Amino acid sequence: MPGLAGSIIELRGAKLHLRRAGTGEPLLFLHGVQGLPESTAALDRLSRRFTVLAPDHPGFGASDSPDRVQDVADLALFYLDFLEALDLKSVHLIGHSLGGWIALELAIRSSARVTSLTLAATAGIRVAGVPRGDMFIASPAELTRLLFADEGAGAQWFASWQATPGLMAAYDRNRAAAAKYTWQPRLYDPKLEHWLHRVGVPTHIVWGEADSLIPPAHAAALGKLVPGAATTLLPGCGHMLDIERPDLFAETVLRFIEGLRS
Amino acid sequence: MKVYFFHLMPYAYLDMSYQEKYRTDWVILPNSYFDPVKGHELYNRYLDELELAAELHFDGISVNEHHQNAYGLMPSPIVMASALARRTKGCKIAILGSAFGLRDNPLTLAEEHAMIDVLTGGRLVSGMVRGIGAEYYSMGANPAFSHQRFHEAHDLVVQAWTRPGPFAFEGKHYRFEYVNVWPRPYQQPHPPIWCPSLGSGETVDWASAKEHRYVYIQNFSPVASVIRYLNLYRQTAERLHGYTASSDQIGWAAPIYIGETDEKAREESKIHIERLFSKYLNLPFEMMFPPGYLSAASLTAMRSIKRPAIAGGTMTIDNLIDAGIFLCGSPDTVRKKLVDAHRRLGFQNFLANLHFATLPADLTEKNLRLFAAEVMPALQCLTDKEYAGMETQAAE
Repeated sequence: MPGLAGSIIELRGAKLHLRRAGTGEPLLFLHGVQGLPESTAALDRLSRRFTVLAPDHPGFGASDSPDRVQDVADLALFYLDFLEALDLKSVHLIGHSLGGWIALELAIRSSARVTSLTLAATAGIRVAGVPRGDMFIASPAELTRLLFADEGAGAQWFASWQATPGLMAAYDRNRAAAAKYTWQPRLYDPKLEHWLHRVGVPTHIVWGEADSLIPPAHAAALGKLVPGAATTLLPGCGHMLDIERPDLFAETVLRFIEGLRS
Repeated sequence: MKVYFFHLMPYAYLDMSYQEKYRTDWVILPNSYFDPVKGHELYNRYLDELELAAELHFDGISVNEHHQNAYGLMPSPIVMASALARRTKGCKIAILGSAFGLRDNPLTLAEEHAMIDVLTGGRLVSGMVRGIGAEYYSMGANPAFSHQRFHEAHDLVVQAWTRPGPFAFEGKHYRFEYVNVWPRPYQQPHPPIWCPSLGSGETVDWASAKEHRYVYIQNFSPVASVIRYLNLYRQTAERLHGYTASSDQIGWAAPIYIGETDEKAREESKIHIERLFSKYLNLPFEMMFPPGYLSAASLTAMRSIKRPAIAGGTMTIDNLIDAGIFLCGSPDTVRKKLVDAHRRLGFQNFLANLHFATLPADLTEKNLRLFAAEVMPALQCLTDKEYAGMETQAAE
């Protein structure tokens, strides 16, 4: 991420790799199951308007994997600790995929420090009868088709993780962490949907129209479960909407947040 | 040396054109490919083959556990071990192994192993494995916790077999208020524990630990890996754990085919052994090694190998024989290879996989009888006296 500077912070004994850029109101971006690539144009774009904070979740990237964090509910509590430790009193919280699931688990526990919630291609719930992809069993070629609307963009994304042995190791580490949190039940918690009435902050659901990992039927279901949530479907986007259409994604996120102040 | 006949019980009627539609015969190959009537015939034929081995004075017969594939039809090896328990006398019955940690409740397996041990008057060998990566998909178990669960399930099971109950077990993955297994195992303190592996320094280290001293079996591997890991076991015991391992603590498992001559053996086994590796052990990388199943270091090492040793779609009988994965030839050829391997490695357990893939009943019986008559006696009399020792070997 050219604009984002990485540093290690410590949270109750666990090292967390945190990238920061920009000025303005704080915006916390929680990445998805694939981990955070070295550079993302969408976050660069958002950092023109916000102070973007983008941590690697425990177990991902360059962050520790502390024993106390075993599942997504633990991750939510971990980030509540994070908000307190950094004295962030009001953040715009954006979660993609696994990150959206964490954001939901966080918000139902306490949204006191959350100003707005953007849920992008969010995991966490299951819509009965809607087939989903399995990112773990998929071959690399199948995986890029699951994650991207455009195969070329997918192949490029996958190749970027294969560029060096260090990036390959990071890719493996991210997948192992993703398995730890999302393997069983795959990408959801059957209990979560019963508590989404507690979210209690302005919520925007953003989904790629061509998401075949977590199809858009999940956006519709989530829209009914989170009170007052707005929904935007992005054309020409798969699951990795922030990578596939970074400008469109950033503009969509911005428009909703700007709309809140008017 | 103790010699075992090891059966995998594959689905021999597999439609070999399955690869036109499916990339593997594990996890995703629809079970409509399985015909229960043919399965009935196979199960009974395979049990007959195991019973024949017992009659032919093998020291033991062996079954194993695999889930949801055409490679091995024993999701519960307990069922097969039970069927064999009353039909055989004297020989060991080895379950190599049970995937205790793959289960949400390993205590049920501890009970079943204890039952077989009591039923057979102490003839059970209890294998403990993590399960193949693909089985973490099939059984819904999280591969990221597979090492932790394997170790914890082991602790639970051994305690259940050895500690007076009832007691509470409080682990990270398994918790029980009352552990009090009836029956207790017949063998005291517990049945022998074996660890079959495709080659893992971590498994060698764990199995050879002073408090374990479990039998390590190198399975389906090029002879270079057999040498590496069996020697590593002795070295690890000596250098890391501070004791000299006995040769009873190591073993080798390999597919074998014996014909009247080398040529005949090749001719008769070629299509079947090639199918074992290209059709049955057809595991894509993502299924073999799901995320978190291997430690980061092991995975990096594995990625540096272009193709995992055992999952080679293009393996030919010549490659397999040259690599020493498959022992094939006349009785003389095979006997010499095994006696020579023993001289170099000193292992006191050998598991002969005398049926594989689609090898038909008549050839399997011939293979069993030739092995039992012409090769096995020369192995069963081998002791540490014939083992040259690691230093001698290094000097060569």
